Amino acid sequence: MTDPRSQDIDLQEEAGAKFHRGSALSIFKSDRHEDFMALLLSLCIALGVYFLVA
Amino acid sequence: MVYTHKNPALLIMGLIMLAIGASVSLGWQAGVIQYLDLSKLTWEMTSLTYIFGGIAVVVGLWHLFGTHVEGHLDYYLSTVAGVIFILLIAMVVRWYLDPYIAVLSKAMGPVMGDKYLHDVLGLNYVVLGIVAGILVVNVFKVPRWAENGVRLSRLGLKTGVVLLGTLYSAAELQSLGGLSVMMIGVFVLGSVGLTLWLGARRNVPNSMGGVLSAGLGVCGVSAAVAAAPVVQAKSVEIAYTIGTILLWGVGCMFLFPVIGHLLNMSHLQFGAWAGTGILNSAQVAGAALAYQPDGIETLKVAEIFNITRVLVLPIIVVWLAVWYVKREESAPGVNAVRVIFEKFPVFVIGFLLMFGLSSTGIFAPAQHYQGKYFDNNIKEEKLLKPAQVETLRAEAAKVQREDQKAALARLMDNRKVMSPDDDDVLRGLVNAKALSKDANGVLKGAHKAVRHDAKKVAAFRDWITWLFAFGLVGLGMQITLASIKQAGGQPLVIGGIVGTLKAGLSLVVVLLFVHETI
Repeated sequence: MTDPRSQDIDLQEEAGAKFHRGSALSIFKSDRHEDFMALLLSLCIALGVYFLVA
Repeated sequence: MVYTHKNPALLIMGLIMLAIGASVSLGWQAGVIQYLDLSKLTWEMTSLTYIFGGIAVVVGLWHLFGTHVEGHLDYYLSTVAGVIFILLIAMVVRWYLDPYIAVLSKAMGPVMGDKYLHDVLGLNYVVLGIVAGILVVNVFKVPRWAENGVRLSRLGLKTGVVLLGTLYSAAELQSLGGLSVMMIGVFVLGSVGLTLWLGARRNVPNSMGGVLSAGLGVCGVSAAVAAAPVVQAKSVEIAYTIGTILLWGVGCMFLFPVIGHLLNMSHLQFGAWAGTGILNSAQVAGAALAYQPDGIETLKVAEIFNITRVLVLPIIVVWLAVWYVKREESAPGVNAVRVIFEKFPVFVIGFLLMFGLSSTGIFAPAQHYQGKYFDNNIKEEKLLKPAQVETLRAEAAKVQREDQKAALARLMDNRKVMSPDDDDVLRGLVNAKALSKDANGVLKGAHKAVRHDAKKVAAFRDWITWLFAFGLVGLGMQITLASIKQAGGQPLVIGGIVGTLKAGLSLVVVLLFVHETI
């Protein structure tokens, strides 16, 4: 284990790449977190389209 | 751990994007744009390249010359390199490779009805994007500086799925015929259920079975893409499913018309069979047009069945979400309701919400399908001119069929198409090539005047296209040859069994129960 203040704690090595957060497939800490980000992003896009496209 | 790499790649990619945008703005790509028929895309070719090129240059300078320490800023900004890397590949695919293949394919002439080879083979940006990603990872490897950003591809896919709900409307589902809803309901649910059952019997992972069931049951590639994040499908499983669907669809597209002619099926019967048994939308249209090249009746019926199938997608997405959570988390003593509540992919709710909003008519008239709708309340200048009416009147005697005569008469009297049914009948008349080129031109103009494309839904379509292109190129980058070997040939076997059963049983049902009404 490295310095406890380092993000290298719980370093995961998946598919040859090292990530200390998320998984090999996502930068988010959980699927639910990613789902909410997708909802937020789509809400922003929907509002943009609704108000900006005539 | 510091994620940011001191590498000039992001800066260089930003400059390349800006160069593409500037060359389009300055007209240096006019020849290419004309050759590849990109005039409709020039706006996005400049706006997207300037926006993302600008971001890439600014962040790229920071990557190269900034000081990076562990933390959120380093973690999230380091993803920009991978995002821009994927976007640049997606841009090349969408603006150059996909249109170039279409140009080459069109030069060869139609191969099925009015469908070209690239339609038949399903060679669009979805497939090309995945292939591009696979090539990058297997030939060059994903660069270290791009690895963190590639992990954002699934977010793009999920966002695209949420927005996909805007393309459909419950009102359109209500307007479909009872038989098509019943047949599609039985065959879609049956195919999904059978695929899931077969997958479990053959020890296929739940994620593979889930994504394959959506692809085989609903509407091919787009359903597979929509279901993939719901069942947490791996990249290679999505690729396998798409490959299976396209291979099966191409085979059906050539085989169905032959069987249809051998059995002397009516237009209605063949349309119902093709719309139920063939998996991918373009291939449904190809088979219908091949069966009846001189009219549109078969195509129309096939389209109705195909649309019905697509509109079942929300139900299937929810079913798969619940099924997957239960399968993955089920264990003795576990509260299934609680597990579903905790693990249910909440972005699916966003998809249903968008579908609900779209059904209210907030983005387009409620009776729309993918933003397209009929409305003949048009301005005076859009009505047929007297000379155009005379062109039609001079050739009206050539029309033999009563329904076409009546629709044509109403068009000439009112100088506009009077109903969606008339519009379909007149499209059939154009397809039959019974009239001169001038008269057909007038009919096509009358059709265009009453068929509208809602701008808001068109904007959503653009967003979905880009989010899927981004997501699929990124997913392709996670498909190594080793993972393809590991997945084995089970998807093809299951696809073959389910596809054959679906085609065979739907043929029997059509022959027994479908006669003259939908």
